[in-house]
Amino acid sequence: MDLRTEVLIIGGGATGAGIARDLALRGIPSLLVEKGDFTSGASGRNQGLLHSGARYAVNDPEAARECITENRILRRIAPHCIEPTDGLFVSLPEDGPEYRANFIRACEAVGIDTLPLSPREALSMEPRLNPKIIGAVQVPDGAIDPFTLVVENARDAESRGARFLIHTEVTGLIRDGLRIAGVRVCDRITGEEYAIAATWVINATGAWANRILGLAGLKIGLALSKGSMLITNTRLSERVLNRCHPPASGDIIVPNDTVSILGTTSLRAEDMEHNEVTPEEVTFLVVELSRMIPDLKGERFTRAYAGVRPLLQSEETCDDREISRSFALIDHGSCDGIAGLVTITGGKLMTYRLMAEKTVDFLCERMGLHVPCSTHVQRLPGAGQGHTLKDRLARLRRQIPAARGEILCDCELVPREAVDAILREGKVRELQDILHRTRLAKGTCQGGFCVYRLLGLLNELRKEEKSGGSNVVLRGFLEERWKGIRPVLWGTSLKEEELIESIYKGLFNLAPEEPGRPGEGEA
Amino acid sequence: MTKAEERPVLFPKLPDVCVRCATCMAACPVSRVTPRFPGPKQAGPGAQRFRSASEASVDDWIELCTSCHLCDMVCPAGVPISELNLMAKAKYLNERGRTFRDWLLVRSDLFGELAARFSKIVNPLMKNGAVRRLLDVLLRIDRRRDLPGYEYPTFRRWFRTRPVASGASGRRKVAYFYGCFTNTNETDVGKAAVEVLEAHGLTVVVPPQRCCGIPRLGVGDLRGAMEMGGRNIDLLRPTVREGIDIVFSSTSCGLMLRHEYSRLLGLPGAEELAGHLFDICEFLLHLREEEKSAVTFRPLSMKAAYFAPCHLRSLDIGLPALELLRLIPGLDVRLLEADCCGLGGLYGFKKEKFTIAEEIGKDLTEAVDRMKPEIILTDCEGCRMQIRHLTGLRVLHPLQLLRDALPQPIAHP
Amino acid sequence: MKRFDLIVIGTGLAGLTAARTAVEMGAKVLITGRGMGALTLFGNTIDLLGEIPPETEMAEGIPRWIAAHPEHPYARTGWEGIESALADFRGLFPPPYSFAAEGKRNSLLPTGAGTMRPTYLIPATMAAGAAMTPVGTLIVGLRGFKDFQGDTVSLHLKCRGVTLSLPRYGLEGLTALALARLMDEASFRERLGEAIRRQMAGERFIGLPAVLGLRNPAVVLKTLEEITGARVFEIPMLPPSIPGTRVFHRFREELIAKGTIFLMGHPVSGANVKDGRCEGITVENPPLAAEYRADRYILATGRFLGGGLWAEMERIVEPLFRIPVFQPGGRGMWFGERFFDPEAHPIHRAGIVTDADLRPVDETGRVVLENVRAAGSILAHHQATEEKSREGIDIATGFLAAKRALAS
Repeated sequence: MDLRTEVLIIGGGATGAGIARDLALRGIPSLLVEKGDFTSGASGRNQGLLHSGARYAVNDPEAARECITENRILRRIAPHCIEPTDGLFVSLPEDGPEYRANFIRACEAVGIDTLPLSPREALSMEPRLNPKIIGAVQVPDGAIDPFTLVVENARDAESRGARFLIHTEVTGLIRDGLRIAGVRVCDRITGEEYAIAATWVINATGAWANRILGLAGLKIGLALSKGSMLITNTRLSERVLNRCHPPASGDIIVPNDTVSILGTTSLRAEDMEHNEVTPEEVTFLVVELSRMIPDLKGERFTRAYAGVRPLLQSEETCDDREISRSFALIDHGSCDGIAGLVTITGGKLMTYRLMAEKTVDFLCERMGLHVPCSTHVQRLPGAGQGHTLKDRLARLRRQIPAARGEILCDCELVPREAVDAILREGKVRELQDILHRTRLAKGTCQGGFCVYRLLGLLNELRKEEKSGGSNVVLRGFLEERWKGIRPVLWGTSLKEEELIESIYKGLFNLAPEEPGRPGEGEA
Repeated sequence: MTKAEERPVLFPKLPDVCVRCATCMAACPVSRVTPRFPGPKQAGPGAQRFRSASEASVDDWIELCTSCHLCDMVCPAGVPISELNLMAKAKYLNERGRTFRDWLLVRSDLFGELAARFSKIVNPLMKNGAVRRLLDVLLRIDRRRDLPGYEYPTFRRWFRTRPVASGASGRRKVAYFYGCFTNTNETDVGKAAVEVLEAHGLTVVVPPQRCCGIPRLGVGDLRGAMEMGGRNIDLLRPTVREGIDIVFSSTSCGLMLRHEYSRLLGLPGAEELAGHLFDICEFLLHLREEEKSAVTFRPLSMKAAYFAPCHLRSLDIGLPALELLRLIPGLDVRLLEADCCGLGGLYGFKKEKFTIAEEIGKDLTEAVDRMKPEIILTDCEGCRMQIRHLTGLRVLHPLQLLRDALPQPIAHP
Repeated sequence: MKRFDLIVIGTGLAGLTAARTAVEMGAKVLITGRGMGALTLFGNTIDLLGEIPPETEMAEGIPRWIAAHPEHPYARTGWEGIESALADFRGLFPPPYSFAAEGKRNSLLPTGAGTMRPTYLIPATMAAGAAMTPVGTLIVGLRGFKDFQGDTVSLHLKCRGVTLSLPRYGLEGLTALALARLMDEASFRERLGEAIRRQMAGERFIGLPAVLGLRNPAVVLKTLEEITGARVFEIPMLPPSIPGTRVFHRFREELIAKGTIFLMGHPVSGANVKDGRCEGITVENPPLAAEYRADRYILATGRFLGGGLWAEMERIVEPLFRIPVFQPGGRGMWFGERFFDPEAHPIHRAGIVTDADLRPVDETGRVVLENVRAAGSILAHHQATEEKSREGIDIATGFLAAKRALAS
């Protein structure tokens, strides 16, 4: 089954989806392939911070200006992906009042609204803060849900003709002389291999950029940096909390729905995948962030995860259209003599839309089209639907008593109808796809009860018959879950783990497959 | 002794300690009879992650929690589930407002005294079909529930006007906290308490006291409960300072006075009071052990069932009433296997909760049917009302039977 | 203040067994604990040692296994100790709701995940599950009851499955306890039985979630078998466990009837230890702390879930007496890289090491507390989850601890 498109985008992160949407809004057809599910890369493994840009104001005003502009745009076009929590930049005695003063000036210089707060004010707003703080500054930080953001971009693009193929991996670039004419792909679920012809191929694969470029014998200077994060069981603060000091590791706490995300670290990574959070990183984050929230050590952590950021190494020797100091668009036609291939790299989640805009501007110019970008004004499809914690609790109330039995996830109050809706869309192809699209298994017990119920539902709908039964999937889920849980197993989280092991290994007797062992289906 | 700084190991931060094990779901009597209440796992620590002080409350199902505390008792992690529920209920009702009915019902002490004085009028009225229908429609007090009759003279009056026994001055004093219900609706319980205490060589004093305030907790009125508690502590303090122990015969009053005043409401002086408060059966058992009290009970040949009220279980003192009853020769007394009677204090009187209370109580009715006792004994006035309502059998406070078994049964004046 | 012959700390199966054993010997016992133990969570049947193949008799397999595992708690009790303890346990459950092991061997029972699981003593309401055949079995799920997924079970066991709507209830989602109590009602279970019968296609076995009554499981079983004409069995599901709760209530009823002081819901916050002897414990019920004294104590507080062990960020402690805990190195050594490891995670072997008398010892083998004994899963050197030995360890060591305590 070979396909054809005008623009082929490789990478289903924020950048890729943003490009597809921008193209679609300008009437240009595209097809996006992603080897996993949406946000498999850095877009799915960050701290969920909607930067105000304040963090960069002192050291990198241009980046800061970019951030605040995009911050305002995203609030306008994607309010349903954002919780407008505001943020505090908190000064501890060792941070010094001079930096704070500098910080406020720098923010103002790039147009970031600031509100200086006394320690008493800050503590009344955020009672868990260190009582020793010498002041705080409020800025328009927020919390963002990257997955919804990306899926919304995709949904909008799709409604205008773009196509998306997840679980589809690029295995080769098709060359036609000195031009890239398309890609060869493999469907990771079915194993089917086929080709997609395209006039332009956009490499929006983030940390995997060189993996793709390698297929054409190309390479860019990219360093991989691993950042680890911890998730708490309860939400520690209403607002984003930052240290008011030169940006460092372990200085941000982002609220996210019912939990908080602590971050982050910055270590050299060798691998794009299989990055696990080390015990040292866990200890570091807990110790470092307990300077802002002193009783953090007694806090319960439900999960740890790591993401890999692609860091652009600046010295590129050719005219590579460095659009900004924070991201780069590399036209391999000009740089390497291989036309039809463009890499967009660097940047952050916040600036995805701008990166997409610049990329599509470039493409339009090459195509001879004069259609302006409108992604900064057009709202995403779901905009206008609020979502707060209270809403979810209220939904529980409405479901009681008529359909309380239909609540699958007790910890995050996810009803069956949410899963039904996802299944109806027909796009999901494996369990993790469902889990990405809801908050199921993201709560206190991390799927201990709800995944059993969810799989029961899938069995009821006969979705797991072919694979030989859902226990294979269940085992896979438990193994995947383990990676995130193992780094934080002490205290109450360890109790939780004992419960889960006792249920699945003990009560349900799930185990790695062994021949001849009493296992599934053998009565 | 375990060092102070090691205590955090035993009492890690709450309510984050919930591991979602669902043991509480195996104990909750409300969620076992109605899906309208999602159960302690969801209502307490589950919903807590979604609640925010700055947002309006949406948990209207929270009113269905009876505060039986059975969930607290079985939670292996020590999550204060019923406390979480109570806080949520308080916030919810503070925002929504409380009904006139609830305003009325929690003032049982005021209206009780009045009703007792005019019991000859009030009692027939409370049985009158038309009046009950009116109360049902206007105030949503379910007409199917028997309302307790009022008695006059009140216990307090009876105590004040009784002749002082001779030799009383030389004996150890003990103070009696009677509780509203004993005072105006079941004075014989109080009388039995006094008689049993006196038979054990004590002089009973009845200090000034007010309603313990637990009805306020039932409607999430923490401030009201704190006011009443504060007043009670002031009234009882002189007794405590004199070194006199205070005994209670109502296990709900006892829970409120001894534990909730301090643990839940944080009232100054509550801890001091707590050190001198005892369940009357607990007290009598101690007395008998320490002083090798010589009071031997007369034989009473009958088959009795003892039911342990939920709030007695919260007191966590074992079953002292049962232990005492076992000392009565000839008495076949056994524990009724049932979790909760279902009344929940004022809960079961309310129209919207009547059926839930009935359904919960079925467990108890079945246990009674299995055992076929002649008489049922329980320390909580709510349980007594409920069991009478459900079974029609004779239900007494253990003290009343103990009084009947005293070597020289005291004739009632 | 009253002095007890024995104080048992912990109201799980080990503590309950210890208390009952002592009470049967005429001792004055106080038992205190928080929670109802693993019983109420995943206790359904009595596991002894799932590793022994079903073809081997336990009387033969266990002693051999013990010889190969000299550190295991069973090595303290010996096979004879296990036998006596299990006989005592069975004595608490006279027919018709009794526990039995077919042929004194392990049997395989179906689980809520559609797997088979080896276990030993099986209650009457689950017995037929050991004989079920895929072709002749119908698995019945109940709509709105989400903790048992009938389709998962039938799919994996390769049986026919059906999901019934409940009489009277729809999707409201009844809890396991609510369902169990409904089953205790004759009219409800009769209607359910009828509904099942109408769905049958000649099956000889019916599998249902483990909610076949809280108070009258034997009657529930009888009714359903009469109406359907098939053998009925209940299948364990997500917590809470109704069969386990039945066991808990039976123990509690028995202990109270025999005069035990049964305390529940408040933690033991302190122990008064002097010269290597425990003089008393404190049960904290704020704002008060009640002291209780006994000549002997049994610590049966479970593992992490029960609170018997607590994991700080770098080490594991026993929080009440501060008994040294045998454990793998730092936190990095506690768990293996994969969730499903052929070996259990090293942390599961951690726990309290004891002498032959079940008295805790330190690294040098010296007895730490003269009059305190440890029983149940808090002991070191077992893998209850993987071995399928949890209830057996609880019962056998609870029994032994009481015997030895009262002999001293």
